[in-house]
Amino acid sequence: MKTKRAFLAVYITALVLTIILISLRAYYVLVAIIAGTLLIGYRELWSLIRLRRLPPVDERVMENTSKSIRNGFIFFAITSVFLMLLFSINVTLNPDTIHFIGGLFISAGAIYALSYLFYDRAEPRLGERGLRMLKMFLMVAGISVAVFILSAFLHNIVSGLVGTEEPVFFIMATILAPLAFTVGIIGSLVIFVKGLFSRV
Amino acid sequence: MRTRIKEFRTKHHLTQEKLAQMVGVRRETIIFLEQGKYNPSLKLAYNVARALKTNIEELFVFDG
Repeated sequence: MKTKRAFLAVYITALVLTIILISLRAYYVLVAIIAGTLLIGYRELWSLIRLRRLPPVDERVMENTSKSIRNGFIFFAITSVFLMLLFSINVTLNPDTIHFIGGLFISAGAIYALSYLFYDRAEPRLGERGLRMLKMFLMVAGISVAVFILSAFLHNIVSGLVGTEEPVFFIMATILAPLAFTVGIIGSLVIFVKGLFSRV
Repeated sequence: MRTRIKEFRTKHHLTQEKLAQMVGVRRETIIFLEQGKYNPSLKLAYNVARALKTNIEELFVFDG
């Protein structure tokens, strides 16, 4: 009963928002809302199609939902601060930059939402070794982003101070950090997908 | 905490899906319980024990 109410509430809200957004011609936001709603309720929708009934919202799912809301809030708070910083230095005035940053944030949001929704399914199948590997690859990806930002910053400072192009931080920012990021993302994706489809 | 849910479930020829249905939870919750990765509420522990025709002390073993 609780599941049915929650399910109906989410979809009715999405329907009302859809009508409002169509009237405002905000099609990008509309697509994001529809995709988000389908992602949130994918398990319920699939159960309805396959079994003609909804899965229960048990105590563990309830706990996870509150964690999900908290993590989602932190993610979007950080994203908003970052966007506001960009607006404050007028970087987004260039339309290409706006599209690039928008695409980056939409991809990051989609990966975040997908990984959170499917983590519940993948985690018990990964085992301790798999979880350790996943954590390691994710840390490599995260650290490489930090290294990229720091190296770009230091390269500009050192080049400005010395007067010539500084090579070490330049190589770190343009070759090493993207390479480490690619390795981290591909590695974690492989482990995650492997865990998702292996049997318990 | 160690659990003997899998042992009792196999003894009663129940699948994870079937046990999940009997106690009103998702299959993932049964997986987490079997692996000892989730501490259930007293109500859920009691329901699982009842579904497996045993008691909580037999099902959940506290290592210390």
